[in-house]
Amino acid sequence: MEKRIKEAVRYLGFGKNAADERTLSLIGEAFADLEKEADPRFVCRFFDITHEADGKIRIGTLKISSRSLERNLKGCGKIVLFGATLGPGVDRLITRTSVMDMAKAVIVQACAAAMLEEYCDSRQLEIGEELEREGEYLRPRFSPGYGDFDIHYQEPLMRMLDCAKTIGLTMTDSYMMSPSKSVTAVIGVSRTQERCPVEGCEACSKTDCEYRR
Amino acid sequence: MIRDRLGKELLYFDGGMGTLLQERGLEPGELPETWNITHPDVIRGIHRSYIDAGSDIVLTNTFGANALKFHDGTFSLNEIVTSAVEHVKAAVRDSGTDRKIYTALDMGPTGKLLKPMGDLDFETAYEAFREVAVLGEQAGADLIHIETMSDTYELKAAVLAAKENTSLPVFATTIFDERGKLLTGADVPSVIAMLEGLRVDALGINCGLGPEQMLPLLEQFLRYSSTPVIVKPNAGLPKQKNGQTVYDVSPEDFAAVMEKIVRMGAAVIGGCCGTTPDHIRAMRTRCEGMPVLPVTEKEDTIVSSYGQSVLLGTGSKIIGERINPTGKKRFKQALKEHDLEYILREGISQQDAGAHILDVNVGLPDIDEPALMKEVVQQLQSVTSLPLQIDTVDVTAMEAALRIYNGKAMVNSVSGKQESMDKVFPLIRKYGGVVIGLTLDEDGIPSDAEGRIRIARKIIGEAEKYGIRKKDIVIDALAMTISSEPDGAKVTLETLRRLRDELGVCSVLGVSNISFGLPNRPVVNAAFYTMAMMNGLSAGIINPLSEDMMKAWYAYHALMNLDANCENYIARFAGSTGAPAAGAGSSAGMSAGEGKPSAGAGMSSASREMTLHAAIVKGLKEEAHGVTEKMVQTEVPLDIINQELIPALNQVGDGFEKGTVFLPQLLMSAEAAKSAFAVLKEKMDKSGEVQEKKGSIVLATVKGDIHDIGKNIVKVLLENYSFDVIDLGKDVPPEVIVETVNERKIRLVGLSALMTTTVVSMEETIRLLREKAPRCRVMVGGAVLNQDYADMIGADFYGKDAMQSVHYAQEVFAENAADQEES
Repeated sequence: MEKRIKEAVRYLGFGKNAADERTLSLIGEAFADLEKEADPRFVCRFFDITHEADGKIRIGTLKISSRSLERNLKGCGKIVLFGATLGPGVDRLITRTSVMDMAKAVIVQACAAAMLEEYCDSRQLEIGEELEREGEYLRPRFSPGYGDFDIHYQEPLMRMLDCAKTIGLTMTDSYMMSPSKSVTAVIGVSRTQERCPVEGCEACSKTDCEYRR
Repeated sequence: MIRDRLGKELLYFDGGMGTLLQERGLEPGELPETWNITHPDVIRGIHRSYIDAGSDIVLTNTFGANALKFHDGTFSLNEIVTSAVEHVKAAVRDSGTDRKIYTALDMGPTGKLLKPMGDLDFETAYEAFREVAVLGEQAGADLIHIETMSDTYELKAAVLAAKENTSLPVFATTIFDERGKLLTGADVPSVIAMLEGLRVDALGINCGLGPEQMLPLLEQFLRYSSTPVIVKPNAGLPKQKNGQTVYDVSPEDFAAVMEKIVRMGAAVIGGCCGTTPDHIRAMRTRCEGMPVLPVTEKEDTIVSSYGQSVLLGTGSKIIGERINPTGKKRFKQALKEHDLEYILREGISQQDAGAHILDVNVGLPDIDEPALMKEVVQQLQSVTSLPLQIDTVDVTAMEAALRIYNGKAMVNSVSGKQESMDKVFPLIRKYGGVVIGLTLDEDGIPSDAEGRIRIARKIIGEAEKYGIRKKDIVIDALAMTISSEPDGAKVTLETLRRLRDELGVCSVLGVSNISFGLPNRPVVNAAFYTMAMMNGLSAGIINPLSEDMMKAWYAYHALMNLDANCENYIARFAGSTGAPAAGAGSSAGMSAGEGKPSAGAGMSSASREMTLHAAIVKGLKEEAHGVTEKMVQTEVPLDIINQELIPALNQVGDGFEKGTVFLPQLLMSAEAAKSAFAVLKEKMDKSGEVQEKKGSIVLATVKGDIHDIGKNIVKVLLENYSFDVIDLGKDVPPEVIVETVNERKIRLVGLSALMTTTVVSMEETIRLLREKAPRCRVMVGGAVLNQDYADMIGADFYGKDAMQSVHYAQEVFAENAADQEES
């Protein structure tokens, strides 16, 4: 089974159970609808970082205080700031589907999440391949809101990426991303290759999560 | 005045500002506008070098200077804007040039997304732009240049703010990608249609692309625009080099393409990101003395939405008529109950059936039509990208809708009555739009084509006085029923033909009026529809869910070679036998979007064997609908609910809680039950039988939270269990929730929040409810919540999933019932 279908099934809460045929067929339809409506875009910029004596991480004028991010970026002298979105068409598709059929709507929403992850993974792999030629390696994506990396850092990070202008990604006053199927992340770059750079779920400390892979 | 020179001689903008500031030490994330005060010499120096290089129009350093984007505790917006304008003026003085240099107030986007997709109100965006525009005019700017806009809605707010509050010329440019789309999906014709409707002085493209990549876009701009076109490319596509963004098209290469751009027809040229005074100098040197191609009037009738444009005049377009309460009991009820979802479903199902434009009429006596019209238009634009036709006789409602509509709307309607034209045309002039002109006047509806043509001419002539061109008028030839007017069809057809041949104006018709009072109306309607299209009907206002009408439409386009290789016809009808599909009409609304031509036949044989219980447990929506339709012929609705529906729902709910049924399956069953309920409700409405509602529950996604899928899941399930759900939507302020609770004496509220940042407003809502509605219970749910968190913010109940909230609601209302019995 394709990875993104597996992921969608996981997001739908099936856990280790197999999805039924009707759900799978709706997943197929949902991906087809999404292919029509999604307009995926990404932006990335490189920044040098310094690890300050007080444990903070400094990117340009921005200082970030987060132990989990610090752990994630250990040994990294620079980062890739990364932003990606599936675009506003996907939000409209989810809203439209919610009006007509909630079962389909939750499926579209799960598939959109899977599609976004897949898109980010493949962009990240591309960035990584280019860096590897220079002997540099990427760490896993790390987003504001993970661990103790405060969601409020999303605002300056998005400003540094100029997300609104470059990919149409904005943030509400409550730090929700709009379009909703979007990601911003910090990706560490170092001279040493560590673990697989695209793992996400497995790195999380919330081991009792019902959506865990 | 720059207006006098526009389009007559080539005018030159300046080039990039941001990239030059970065070279001079602007940090990533630092607000460039603060440099107006901290580094005035740098800003003046850059302006000066552009003036020396040959720029006629110099942009102030105010791209991000609006209250929504510019958050700086040290400097006020007033200081920033005033100093920015002064810097350009000072640079002009320093340069000693004798050319006239125009100071253009630069207005860029707010960086926020407008509702309904984001959280920014249209009027808040308008206010932010108004503030800057007024400051700019006061400081002495010569024009307002709105640029790098990627959202037509925000663009509209900016243009309206500039035009309504200043007397300055307004230029507007947008940022397109290589596919010819804005980030929010609009294409070139839709952007032009909207901007010309708002009457900007010049429009065009900036940023995003290099000059070479802009060529195909420019071609489209010149094809559709009757307004001078601005082109301001980047110095190529951005590239990453040593972690920096660089643009690498040299001044000479840039200038060479700009010369081509002028030859194609651009009237104002300049540069954006990565361009420098050297680029501008090379461009000016190369283009100096070149003539500007005259701007010609384009005659396309275009309506648009945020995401697409519809061109009237090629083939015949379908305007869906179903969002209209006239003669529809269920629709009237939806309007009275503020059941917007019902209205949205009518819109979506018409889109799925093939409509190109949706008519929107929400007029009922005793209804606040302006408020409702505005709300329905905004909601529809969150689920469909079809352009809308605002259909109302209430001029206040018309203006409210035109103002907040995202795009260039169609308007239904104006008539040949002087009073009507005096009221409607000023609105079209101000907001833009394609308006339907009814061929009737103070003397009524002329009985012959000559009379109707005369009125059409009168309407077109009167519109001209407002500067509204014929292309923005669509004449309604009016169809009178042949049951009382034997010549009715012939007169209408003749009128259509003459509108096309003699007046060269687009036409529209409410087609089905023709058969009023006759049996088997679809037969007459479809035949007349074909005849009308043959006589030049540009757009029919019809029911796209009517199979007969759609057959006529597809066949006409195939026959007239308006459907290349009969592609659309084949796509629609391949595999269909042509035999009448039994019952297709009655279930068309239910199965919209999933409708396969053969579904009707397969369904009925299957449903003969299937019980309603099984259909619900299996989550088969159409089957549940079909079986219930059969059952109500012999059984009492309440028995069906109690003996089949509820037990089936309970079985699925139990499975969900045991972990054998999963969320999608639970919801499929819920949707199946919902489709069965729709049949039962219709039957009960007819027989007068009443099903007791178990109680009223308010549901809302809290303020600041714009995701409502969780709340919607809970809603479907609660409604399945006969609770009356008052859905307040998303981003709901605490006061609105409390007000609704008190007004309608609500005993239970369900709140949803997705993020830690929005749980704060959940807490605030609960606090306010405790204070103002102490008897009301509160259940909460959402991704970030858990029992501890729920306790901390004072909720009565935490529902970890949707079934939990059903159980809690049952508990609360059982207690209520017990209380009432005791008292």
